[in-house]
Amino acid sequence: MKNKKYGEYGGQYVAESLMNTLKEVEEAFHDAIKDPAFIEEYNYYLREYVGRETPLYFAEKLSKKYGTKIYLKREDLNHTGAHKINNVIGQILLAKRMGKTKIIAETGAGQHGVATATGAALFNMECTVFMGKEDMERQELNVFRMELLGAKVECVTSGSNTLKDATNEAIRTWAKMAEDTFYIIGSAVGPHPYPEMVKEFQKIISVEAKKQILEKEGRLPDSVIACVGGGSNSIGMFAEFIEEKEVELIGVEAAGKGIETGEHAAAMALGEPGVLHGMRSYLLQDEDGNVQLAHSISAGLDYPGVGPEHAWLKDSGRATYVSVTDDEAMDALKELCREEGIIPAIESAHALAYALKIARERNEDQIMIINLSGRGDKDVHTIASYFSGKGYQN
Amino acid sequence: MNRIEQRLATCKQKGEKAFITYMTAGLPSIEGTIEIIKAQAEAGIDVIELGIPFSDPTADGPVIQAASYESICNGTNLRKVFDLVEEVRKTCQVPIVFMMYFNTIAHYGTERFVDKCIEVGVDGLIIPDLPMEEQFQMEEYLKKEGAPVMMQLVAPVSADRIPVILENARGFVYCVSNMGVTGQGGTFHKDVKSYLESVKSVSKVPVMMGFGIRTAKDVENLKDTIDGCIVGSYFINLMKENNYDLDVIKEYIRTFKKELNA
Repeated sequence: MKNKKYGEYGGQYVAESLMNTLKEVEEAFHDAIKDPAFIEEYNYYLREYVGRETPLYFAEKLSKKYGTKIYLKREDLNHTGAHKINNVIGQILLAKRMGKTKIIAETGAGQHGVATATGAALFNMECTVFMGKEDMERQELNVFRMELLGAKVECVTSGSNTLKDATNEAIRTWAKMAEDTFYIIGSAVGPHPYPEMVKEFQKIISVEAKKQILEKEGRLPDSVIACVGGGSNSIGMFAEFIEEKEVELIGVEAAGKGIETGEHAAAMALGEPGVLHGMRSYLLQDEDGNVQLAHSISAGLDYPGVGPEHAWLKDSGRATYVSVTDDEAMDALKELCREEGIIPAIESAHALAYALKIARERNEDQIMIINLSGRGDKDVHTIASYFSGKGYQN
Repeated sequence: MNRIEQRLATCKQKGEKAFITYMTAGLPSIEGTIEIIKAQAEAGIDVIELGIPFSDPTADGPVIQAASYESICNGTNLRKVFDLVEEVRKTCQVPIVFMMYFNTIAHYGTERFVDKCIEVGVDGLIIPDLPMEEQFQMEEYLKKEGAPVMMQLVAPVSADRIPVILENARGFVYCVSNMGVTGQGGTFHKDVKSYLESVKSVSKVPVMMGFGIRTAKDVENLKDTIDGCIVGSYFINLMKENNYDLDVIKEYIRTFKKELNA
């Protein structure tokens, strides 16, 4: 009865009262993705509503400056401003198929919450989003967006009042209401089958990118680079390249104020395996096994764990995980604004920062693809206060 | 023989329903917890569930979450709770079950954890985030001589999982009375009676009901179906409101046990 999905990682570490629910979700999910009508509907909404496919943009000025070919996968151009909506459309169609009428979600920065509220409005679902009190204060505008879209935002005041606690509360509520409620997890985390499901609904990023790079360059890229919080955009960006062994996969975690300061969100850099939110994976924890708070200027990377498939990709050596600090990410953010006229999300700026670090060592024939997972509009307050030297409120 | 199994066998012989309380270790302090355990034993408690505080208690409602948080802030950790049990065992043999989340065990080291339980005298384990499918990682170690027994949890929606879960159950089976989390005062699942009956019909070990129970009156109509019950959130609130007064605690336990068996 072993339930391990990714080597020793993954699993279903949840209360008994959720086990039949997870089984129900798993069966419905596997049934759905084999059904051409379901896939067609999913693709329809991605095309007509989300605005896919997103461009694979050749960053001409940056490429020239660094002497190598730099491509940006423009997930920032999706409806609602990030890759999160891809997964929400998939899961909400699944919820509908299962006859559920209510959906719940957790959110940290609010991007997954906004995407879920958007999907809920579109498909007439009653929607509750759990958000830590502290996050609600620092992401006030996204709270307003969710409410405007008709969702109820539930303020979570337990533990550290942030994403990890909002996730705990969503799990508790789900255990109570699973009979008519579907839980839409936004990152590649949680109990099986969620990490697999999120990957399935995010793999469109690399399905498109692979096709596009073959059209433009006639060959696969040398490197594919994405930021990693829980790991949804990165697993989507890696998915189609995992079997292409010559493509280097690089995940970039948030080093916050520096790994050595202890104020970071790099679960894989220093973390050891642990169990949180229904899965076994790398986890930031203290000497007693209590979960430690993550720190990053980017609210979307501010998570103490990471998706179990990333833990497995790291251990197997298929992907490499590195980290960049707040300062490095903000420098890269500014550079992209000035060089290419694109304001990236601070999350995505982490991937960019590492890419630019290694770009100078590459030659002009080498190709790298950076996943630009989201746009920076949501971050302008944080960016402004950072550049005015006031620091940030994380 | 395991202390829990021994105690519950005695209850059965006497025709008594068992009473079990839950308390978070380290409240109001480690020393305070030791005194409360001894006072409960004196008042006739059958089994004590001792909660090891964890930062992310997803199976618990607000009362136990807050207790857990407070205890962590007091500096409580697993090592100190092991010392506490060792101290208790010098004079008191009341059956003790650890209620804890799996990460605390995994972090300590599973085998080392079981060995320490054997050494200090921990009799049972309740791990709400370690369902049947994940228990294989502890099985090997729990076969050791004198190892704590793993209590199995079942829920109102467990349905066809119940016979499988209970196949090799030991100690007692913990029937969660409602969906969700601990401490939803007095409200049980709509099908609670038929669910408890279905558990009772296949269980070879005593059937204990927990979640949302405050006084013996709450289970008045279900008494015939169960072998005892567990009170957690209400007991913690009662202790807090009475400043952990040992006489109040003893009185509550005596009254509950008496009414449960009236």
